[in-house]
Amino acid sequence: MKFLPLALALFASVLVGCAHGPQAVSSPVLGGETQPPATPAVASYSLEQHPASLQLAQNEAASPATPEEPEEKAEGDESDFDYGTEDVPAAEQVTIADPLEPFNRAMFTFNDRLYFWVMKPVAQGYSAVLPEPARVSVGNFFSNLRSPIRLVNCLLQAHFIGAATELFRFMLNSTIGLAGLFDPAGGEEIGLVRQDEDFGQTLGSYGVGQGFYIVWPFLGPSSPRDTVGMIGDYFSYPISYLDPWYVWIGVRGYQAINDTSLQIGDYEAIKEAAIDPYLAVRNAYIQFRQKKVEERGATIQRPGPDIPGAGTPARGVGSQAAPQQ
Amino acid sequence: MTGKTVIKRLVVVVSLLLLVLGAAPVQAATPLETVRGEVNKVLEVLRNKSLKEEVKREKLRVIYGEMFDQEELSKWCLGPNWKKLSEAQRQEFLPLFQQVLEKTYGDRILAYSDEKIVFDKEVPIAKNRVEVKTRAVTKSKEIPMHYRVFQDKSGTWKVYDVVVENVSLVMNYRSQFNEILAKGTPDELLEILRKKVKSQKA
Repeated sequence: MKFLPLALALFASVLVGCAHGPQAVSSPVLGGETQPPATPAVASYSLEQHPASLQLAQNEAASPATPEEPEEKAEGDESDFDYGTEDVPAAEQVTIADPLEPFNRAMFTFNDRLYFWVMKPVAQGYSAVLPEPARVSVGNFFSNLRSPIRLVNCLLQAHFIGAATELFRFMLNSTIGLAGLFDPAGGEEIGLVRQDEDFGQTLGSYGVGQGFYIVWPFLGPSSPRDTVGMIGDYFSYPISYLDPWYVWIGVRGYQAINDTSLQIGDYEAIKEAAIDPYLAVRNAYIQFRQKKVEERGATIQRPGPDIPGAGTPARGVGSQAAPQQ
Repeated sequence: MTGKTVIKRLVVVVSLLLLVLGAAPVQAATPLETVRGEVNKVLEVLRNKSLKEEVKREKLRVIYGEMFDQEELSKWCLGPNWKKLSEAQRQEFLPLFQQVLEKTYGDRILAYSDEKIVFDKEVPIAKNRVEVKTRAVTKSKEIPMHYRVFQDKSGTWKVYDVVVENVSLVMNYRSQFNEILAKGTPDELLEILRKKVKSQKA
């Protein structure tokens, strides 16, 4: 019975994904290009990867806390400060419905074991063989192949400077960057920063809410919106067209291992710091995705002359900082 | 513009001089300078290869005390739930929670050393509250890290939240504490924290 909603959700996602057709192509997984998207296992742990749909429910905290409590007054001039929500950027006050929590917790445990029992040991062995710079280049290579996802989603969000940035990045990195192994376009001199846009974000920018929280086995945290996003992005990722299927699985698996090897320790740290790791990951995921939707493109942060205290506004091609609240 | 720059440089130089001389004119520092100063101290400890791990931890603990305001941070993490805790419970909560943070982030920080931290700018978020935007640059990527600071009663800028890759630590803990306190009592929360601290020591 538990699986029924899941099956329905998946079915619905597929339908929607198809409805968008090829033009909706966007990236499947995605949040951060640094790490590949949804490859099994790995994906689960890098928050960047999964799109999820979040729902912006206002933090429950808001109402109960009123600054009037006399108790707080005693503390001095801070007394009128409400530790509720007033000064917290909206992106962080996000909560998400979790009607599937028992199922999600089971999947969380599954992904957790998958990481510690399979992905991590394999990635460690792989790291012992291939030095870090080489693994970074492999990551760059896959990231370069994901350019169509980012380009398409910049266009879908009418972010034309971002799209142009991605186009030039792809041309430069595919040529002087030796088929994407290096990222000269993103270097200091050229400064074309990768635009981490994916279809889940595109949907978010159209006003589609996350819906509720889902943890997929292998793929990790997501939501109906971000699941649709993942499916959309699947179609604009050239690796998806590898034939036969087992070559595709192999390449995606390799990508997952490579990504994992570059972020060993991240998941462990999140887990260790958490009081309840499931809740911590869920919240981190929705905060992360919400912020991604709000931001348009990567903020180009070039510090100006390094003068203490001098604020240097972000500048550069395609940069647009998220509105400060 | 350049006049300002010169003055800022002067302020920094003078502050540094005073620091060296043993005075503590921290109030004069802007939030960004304050955070930069503390972060540089952390990096110095991390890069000092002659120090033993326990010594490093001890030094980091001292810097943490100067840099963060544990009570402010805890209030933000608990949000409205702070009021549900009695005075005695708060007094127990503060050090327990600090130990949890110390252990986990201490481990994490000690594992790094090759990062370069770039200080970008400061953005006001509210009265007496500022976000200092920085980036940790590693070989393979850049991680945005923003420190939220407020001015305490002595006028010193203290950190009460750290936002890493757009995820606010305070709001992340709040989501967990909210859920735990929605179902349980403050005593149960303290018990969970006690267990967590114990397991970390084991």
